[in-house]
Amino acid sequence: MIDPVTRIEGHARIRIRLDDAGQVEDAHFQVTQFRGFEKLCEGRPLAEMPSLMARICGICPVSHLIASAKACDEIMSVRPPKTGADLRALMNLAQIVQSHALSLFYLASPDLLFGFDADPATRNIVGVAKANPQLALDGIYLRRFGQHTIEVLGGKRIHPAWIVPGGVETPLTTERRDEIRAMIPEAYAAADRALLWYKTNLLSWAEEAEVFGSFPSAFMAMVDDNDNVTHYDGRLRVVDHDGTRLADFDGPDYADYIGEYNDESSFLKPTYFKPRGKAGLYRVGTLARVIVAEAFGTPRADAELAEFRARFGRYPASSFHYHQTRLLDILHSIERMELLLDDPEILSDRVLSRAQINSNVGIGVAEAPRGTLIHHYVVDDDGIMQTANLIIATGHNASAMNASVAQAARHYVKGEHIEEGMLNRVEAVIRCYDPCLSCSTHAMGQMPLHISLVDAEGRTLDEVRR
Amino acid sequence: MSGRPLVLAYGNRLRGDDAVGWVVADALVDDLRMEKVDVVAVHQLSPELADDVSHASLVVFVDARLDPTLVAGAVVVAVLDPDPTASLMTHHVDAGAVLALAHTLYGQAPRAFTVSVAIESAEPGAPLGVAVSASVSALVDTVVRLCGTTADA
Repeated sequence: MIDPVTRIEGHARIRIRLDDAGQVEDAHFQVTQFRGFEKLCEGRPLAEMPSLMARICGICPVSHLIASAKACDEIMSVRPPKTGADLRALMNLAQIVQSHALSLFYLASPDLLFGFDADPATRNIVGVAKANPQLALDGIYLRRFGQHTIEVLGGKRIHPAWIVPGGVETPLTTERRDEIRAMIPEAYAAADRALLWYKTNLLSWAEEAEVFGSFPSAFMAMVDDNDNVTHYDGRLRVVDHDGTRLADFDGPDYADYIGEYNDESSFLKPTYFKPRGKAGLYRVGTLARVIVAEAFGTPRADAELAEFRARFGRYPASSFHYHQTRLLDILHSIERMELLLDDPEILSDRVLSRAQINSNVGIGVAEAPRGTLIHHYVVDDDGIMQTANLIIATGHNASAMNASVAQAARHYVKGEHIEEGMLNRVEAVIRCYDPCLSCSTHAMGQMPLHISLVDAEGRTLDEVRR
Repeated sequence: MSGRPLVLAYGNRLRGDDAVGWVVADALVDDLRMEKVDVVAVHQLSPELADDVSHASLVVFVDARLDPTLVAGAVVVAVLDPDPTASLMTHHVDAGAVLALAHTLYGQAPRAFTVSVAIESAEPGAPLGVAVSASVSALVDTVVRLCGTTADA
């Protein structure tokens, strides 16, 4: 048992089970915190949903705002004005930049920079700052860039209430547009330096890339009409490990393709691709986006994507590549932000459409930093919430995380004891997915990673807590 | 922010006495003695704050402190040194780590103090407790004194 898993968003443990021969049979990533947002919103007015749902997470509140507002749009049968939709997309892109910067630079880079066997006392952002100050500075800049953009648009960097059903509350002023725009050149420079650092050091992580969740699976992500990556509006597409298209559907039809089930040992609600039954494991997030989509549709990111594909193939299998694709997603997001800011229409005053309850069901879908996010609401005729169903990226990835941990454990677990190096690597596998447990569990109480090694009779052979 | 004292107050304003940093920050913003001081309130400290800290002439961190050995409302002032060993378990860091990052990345870690107040409860949804509420005025005066500012400055 590894308990707690560190440097992830939330609290979890990992249980590794051995067979009669003492070999790793399977592994299970268990989330030990509970939140219950789906239940607590029942009986609340629909208008409260975007702000309330944004409280699910302090890292990616904007994604919840967007999925929630889109579900509300559907219930109110209202289409936001173009500028309102563009401003929502702009804020979502800013959040993607700051969230990826947090994941890669603050949480993952200490492993990548110092190695997975390094002393945990130095394997942190302060250690990164000493060993590679430019890398730390770039991470901090990108995070500030994203956070500052969110603050400029929505009035505060966490839980802005600016995105509402029908669009956004206030237009963007020229002065604020220019303030965000002025930060873009350095954001490009920071992303470029980080990519160069990553690609230069890639070979030193070759072993981890082979065993950190490298297996064939399906992938799901949102694509636009040109089959490019989109984070705000598009169709959901599922492709197999070799690119075979398995499904193409609109977000509101998700229940025909995505099933959920309760895992009695975890508060994380896993999902599966329905046409393949409960074994229908698939992955979402940045790796899925570059596999499902043909391209980003922006020149800098597409140049990097071509290089990535030349090195790892069109359909890379290893979850280790979430890290590099996070950097590609950052670069693409900066490009898209620049395009949106340079469009004169972004300053239009028409940012909000108004309407009343016109439907009892609404489903909103967006690409959050960690993958596809679905909010499904049912209201009564007065707009009072009857039920809510939230499907979060970490839920989509739950089965893949278990498979990835099992694969790494088979490679690194030797004998009946958990060694420090193995602990670090199993944690690092989970970090590839950048799971957000606050989002994916619906916390009363918290239990800080916990890995336990259990034999075929269920006896605990070793436990490590952190 | 440049060359001015900086007050960094932090805590969760939705959790009882843990909101005290925000309450003090609100009071400082309205305090005429603090015109030449920057005041920032955040839920938690994060590495990005190192940039702001590096540009400040002095930093005062204001926080709640859950310490059963202290009477609720007791104010503790301490000199803070950069702590390069502080770890980052998730996305927040402690005050010593922010100072260490400021020094390492931006070449300057100003003189710094922590001002903390002993709290009774951090229950979600609870208001600020009586003992901590009564200490807010003393906390504000302590921060003002540390920043070296007076109404005549």
